[in-house]
Amino acid sequence: MGTQVKDVVIKSDAPSALLLDKHADYIAAYGSKKDDYEYTLSEYLRMSGIYWGLTVMDLMGQLTRMNQQEISDFIKSCQHDCGGVSASIGHDPHVLYTLSAVQILSLYDNVNVLDVDKVVEYVRGLQQEDGSFAGDKWGEIDTRFSFCAVATLALLGRLDAINVDKAVEFVLSCMNFDGGFGCRPGSESHAGQIYCCTGFLSIAGQLHQVNADLLGWWLCERQLPSGGLNGRPEKLPDVCYSWWVLASLKIIGRIHWIDKSKLRSFILACQDEETGGFADRPGDMVDPFHTLFGVAGLSLLGEGQIKDVNPVLCMPEDVLERLGLHPDLLS
Amino acid sequence: MAETENEVEVLVQRVVKDINNAFKRNPNIDEIGLIPCPEVRYNRSPIVLVENKLGVESWCVKYLLPYVHNKLLLYRQRKQWLDREALVDITCTLLLLNPDFTTAWNVRKELLQCGALSPERDLYLGKLALTKFPKSPETWIHRRWILQQVLRECSSPGPDRKEQGDGDRHDAAEKTRLSEHLHRVLHEEMKVCADAAGRYPSNYNAWSHRIWVLQNMAPGNLKVLHDELSSMRQWVSMHVSDHSGFHYRQFLLKALVRELSQSLSSSSSPQHYHPQPSSNPSHSPHKANPHHQANGEATAAGPCPSPPSPEDLALVPALPQLFHQEVELCTDLIKSFPGHETLWCHRRHVFYLWHHWRRDHHYGQGFGSESPQPNHTDAGLSSHPHTACPGGVGLDRVQRRNGQAQEGQDAMEVDGVGVPDPRDTKRLKRGPPGPCPPALPSEHSFVASVLDSCRSPEQGRFALAYRKWLDSVIGQ
Repeated sequence: MGTQVKDVVIKSDAPSALLLDKHADYIAAYGSKKDDYEYTLSEYLRMSGIYWGLTVMDLMGQLTRMNQQEISDFIKSCQHDCGGVSASIGHDPHVLYTLSAVQILSLYDNVNVLDVDKVVEYVRGLQQEDGSFAGDKWGEIDTRFSFCAVATLALLGRLDAINVDKAVEFVLSCMNFDGGFGCRPGSESHAGQIYCCTGFLSIAGQLHQVNADLLGWWLCERQLPSGGLNGRPEKLPDVCYSWWVLASLKIIGRIHWIDKSKLRSFILACQDEETGGFADRPGDMVDPFHTLFGVAGLSLLGEGQIKDVNPVLCMPEDVLERLGLHPDLLS
Repeated sequence: MAETENEVEVLVQRVVKDINNAFKRNPNIDEIGLIPCPEVRYNRSPIVLVENKLGVESWCVKYLLPYVHNKLLLYRQRKQWLDREALVDITCTLLLLNPDFTTAWNVRKELLQCGALSPERDLYLGKLALTKFPKSPETWIHRRWILQQVLRECSSPGPDRKEQGDGDRHDAAEKTRLSEHLHRVLHEEMKVCADAAGRYPSNYNAWSHRIWVLQNMAPGNLKVLHDELSSMRQWVSMHVSDHSGFHYRQFLLKALVRELSQSLSSSSSPQHYHPQPSSNPSHSPHKANPHHQANGEATAAGPCPSPPSPEDLALVPALPQLFHQEVELCTDLIKSFPGHETLWCHRRHVFYLWHHWRRDHHYGQGFGSESPQPNHTDAGLSSHPHTACPGGVGLDRVQRRNGQAQEGQDAMEVDGVGVPDPRDTKRLKRGPPGPCPPALPSEHSFVASVLDSCRSPEQGRFALAYRKWLDSVIGQ
């Protein structure tokens, strides 16, 4: 008797065609009932939520359906005196939402809605002596914040504001024996953290420090019989890992180590034919987060109907082209 | 049913008061939960307290949350004043409903800084929130901030000192009190982590917090590291899919290796041991820095740990024995629970650690007299496939051993070693007969034996992947 490996089984009637129009409708209507209890629950990450929604709309060529003015005004009222940006009005600033804000404004080619110099000062001030980055003034250290810091500065063309070498030193100290990365030195390898660290190293021009074969192997072991990808051993597949894992593989030049067609089938099966949008796995409830990463994952797999997505910044390539940003990729 | 603004306000104020009173009535509340109850009932409190469980009837949450949420934000934008007590109550209610609301935790940080809250209270609130939301990243993050405040308090106690004559005695007593306090706090954290780990499988946030606590509150503490390794044995045996749980053991082993290696060679400096991926020639060796080493030895707040004392060393089995026990545990579990990727990953980690430690310490045949404290257990290593650990150990040995070294074994004959240190004799007496830590040939035999006997295709797949890993990553 064999063990049931943790995985999902894709039903035969699962969606197999890409329903882009439905997804665009879903995102365009999302959050229109702002008094919704669920909406309040997630207000603490609203800026990132807006970034997810706008980016996926742009990837689908539907950005114009969103209200640029309203969003720009919103972002402006979220920048604090310290320069940092908060997730929503009245919330506290944090590097996560500072990055999301800069990403959104980059889509609109309008970063000057913010006081850019103050943003740069805020990010610079988060760097610690050992090169790591805190998320905000309260001091939590995590490699995610290293990524947020350099991504923000790269989009603003101000990477020189921080000590890149020290930052690299810290991120490398989080590399584990399996080639992966965790949130802090000594932490377990995790696909999300790996994405942040490989993205970081790409922006910092230090991808050669990655053991691409070793890490690539760990990453492609994330693929399960259903075709979906998980984030760590013995976890269920999740569409957002189709992004974290796939983008990491693309960055280190090993995307061909994945069975692309099986992954594609898995991602498509995560669509909801009635409501539009993607869920974490087939049959579950959809949300904008998984919708972005499902569509972005499909883009990385070469889906013609979707714009090319940049694997480091998770933004349309044409936006980065306009900014003159070409983060390194290994081949 | 339409509710007027006033009705909502009255309801919410009552609920917030009821929650506050519940905590006053019962300071031992240990769990929170939502009671499915869709019917609105205005004349009955939606707050239910049964024994030590606090429940909120679900019907009120959709009024309660937006109201207190917006109230806090109005305060944050300086549009509406709230006094300290109101802030405490409101943030408490909010965070029990939505503990990822970062700003609410930050308000409490400020309250703590001005003395309106104690660290214990927020540790308690966080612990409660975790019973319902065991992953909540913001709860764990706030917890670490609180603990940093506690650490700071403990390392530089208050400025008021007694008069000169009593100074030293008071200092010593104060030091003991603080150290005992830290000890209690540490153990409470281990419990909170264990609880959260049990509520959600492979809970990355709980386990990475646990590691952070050890790194910051007990850096280089051999006893704590070893106690944790022992106490986790049973847990991981019952959670064989929990990759984070097994990673914790890898962390403990690595930390133990570092501490014990430092004691072995008086001239050894930390750079002798930094496990890097073996096949990356371009990776520059990490600079030695006792405060911040490769792969997780970073100690953010703690001082540089001094080499372990002889008393500490006597508490812990020698490294080869530790590895042997770990591999045995892994083998037992692999055989008892076929087809679990986590167990095979664990084996990779453990073997990698062992392999590199051996290499870094010139272990194996004829290592001679370089190290002042010689290892006594070179028997059974490297090139003896038949003395190598067979890996066919039954479950009962796991239960018996349970992390404790066995008593009353014969001292081993050791070749080519200098005068045995009395400490080694103690360890020799405690050790099992001829521990045989893993070696490449024994590992290949193990894979072969699994492939021969396994009936699970997944088990076969993982065994083959392990063999491939041995060949490509360990090589030679």
